Amino acid sequence: MRRRHGKFPWFAYLVVILGGVAMVMPFLDMVMSSFKGAGEYGVIPYKLLPESFNLDNYREAFSQLELPRLFRNSVIVTVSVTVSVLITSALAGYALAKLRFRGRAVIFRFILATMMLPPFLLLIPTFLIMLNWPLAGGNDFLGRGGDGGLTTSLLALILPFTVSGFGIFLMRQFMISLPDEMLEAAKIDGANQWQIWRLIVLPQTKPVAITLGLITFIGTWNEYIWTLLISSSDPSLQTLPVGIQLLQSFLDPDRTMPIVMAGLVISTLPVLVVFLVFQKYYVRGVVLSGLK
Amino acid sequence: MTAAVSPAGALAAPARRLGRLQREGRAAYLFLAPALLFFCVFLILPFLFAIVLAFSDWGGFDLGTLKWAGTANFGDVLSFDGTFVKPILVNTLLFAFGSVFLATFGSVLVAYCIDRLAFQGFWRVLYFLPVVATVVAIGNVWKMMYQPAGLINGVLNKLGVNSIGFLSDASYALPSVTVVQAWASIGGAVLILTAGLKAIPEMYYEAAEVDGASTWHMFWSITLPLLRPALLFVLITQFIGGLQSFALIIVMTGDGGPVNATNVAAFEMYQRAFKYGAWGTASAMAMVLFVIILAITLLQLWVARRRGEETS
Repeated sequence: MRRRHGKFPWFAYLVVILGGVAMVMPFLDMVMSSFKGAGEYGVIPYKLLPESFNLDNYREAFSQLELPRLFRNSVIVTVSVTVSVLITSALAGYALAKLRFRGRAVIFRFILATMMLPPFLLLIPTFLIMLNWPLAGGNDFLGRGGDGGLTTSLLALILPFTVSGFGIFLMRQFMISLPDEMLEAAKIDGANQWQIWRLIVLPQTKPVAITLGLITFIGTWNEYIWTLLISSSDPSLQTLPVGIQLLQSFLDPDRTMPIVMAGLVISTLPVLVVFLVFQKYYVRGVVLSGLK
Repeated sequence: MTAAVSPAGALAAPARRLGRLQREGRAAYLFLAPALLFFCVFLILPFLFAIVLAFSDWGGFDLGTLKWAGTANFGDVLSFDGTFVKPILVNTLLFAFGSVFLATFGSVLVAYCIDRLAFQGFWRVLYFLPVVATVVAIGNVWKMMYQPAGLINGVLNKLGVNSIGFLSDASYALPSVTVVQAWASIGGAVLILTAGLKAIPEMYYEAAEVDGASTWHMFWSITLPLLRPALLFVLITQFIGGLQSFALIIVMTGDGGPVNATNVAAFEMYQRAFKYGAWGTASAMAMVLFVIILAITLLQLWVARRRGEETS
């Protein structure tokens, strides 16, 4: 262990454990409440533990929420966005890291600048662009006349997230450290740029690809605002977070909250498992982005 | 002019190189094509559209009916009789400042303490859990804990304190959501700060120990100054995030209530646009918030750079 100056760091243990309890308590309350039956939730005095661990709320969540449909939408959107971000970032990152061409510095600076544009600023115009997308949802080729344009399709949840400036930046930073000699050797052997990228560069980007894939996966799985907006006119496009959130506006809150909690446990589990398995890579990604 | 080169060779080499560079350039733009196309459609176009909308009067649907309105939208938005400047912009700043202050203070303390313990990986993952959860989970769980019959009031009652209407009482609502925002963002900050702590050379501490410095003294005059780059990054990113985030507020309060007590600028923009179809006003609000974010970011960077020059 490093840096053990002084005696037993009891103060450090105290701080970290107290803080740790504050971090875990909400999740514990979420899981416990998901087992609470009628008449058990919303009662004073508060009790953390449920009377029994029955699965009624989970059954309710499945029947009221159409969980399979929400799950399907979440998976389709998350997988499409993640795959697309990985491919486009690896392509653009390679060009910016290893190819010499006019305008490289300008384009790289532009990519950095894209990360400065806050998403809320683009919310309204992007929605209007999706609404008036040419040749979609009954629109003509100027984007007029139709009924909802792209906003009636899952594509609306995928397209605006298919490329990530951060992803390109991360890939470029990683690829720049790949040895040039290797690429030169392939070139002398007659490989073209596509082959070099596909056969030599891509296999070596695995660690950073896992990092980027994980960050994108978790971010997309949890995305809320845009999906809420797009699915407000077409509930069949809801993903897990939106579907679960909208459940409670219909019914009596004291009865629905435990069912909502059950739904949240189900929807959080996949991300939690993915995160715990790959947490080493996630941590590295956050750290990399912090030290640019 | 030291080496004699045959004219043919001297011409052929650059020509070959030029040819190769042109081929590489073509390849590069093909590799970049998907990204550049995307940025044109989903970044540049909407950005320009956002600017145009902020200066125009438009009912939606047909772009032919879009009318130039000059700065009228900004006049409406920034007029002091309205609700946008006060309480909404004030709320936004309080929410962002408050959550960044709490999260930064908390994460420096926690990161510093974790660095001295065993099982550091475990602790970091623990603090990182909220970052992995969806805002819908975080918002609802805290909403539940803030209820009169919830966990927090349960603990308060046990301690003999009366229940507090954390989300229903207008004077408690904004601090209550601010705490949740801070709680959710501590984990990411802890990760970055831990990396920053690890980068501080051990010998500084050893030297200070030999000189008989106290732990507190070492923290103040070694850890904190050397942690500054990581700290600055955390401050800026979290502040930018805090100024524009409203997902938590939608989930926890539904409408920014009670009576605008938790309403923030980005949420007001969202409601104006998608609930009332006031595209021009909403876009002007977005533009105002964008300029504020930009100004604060540049200010923070400028202050940091000036201080850096003075000390070095």
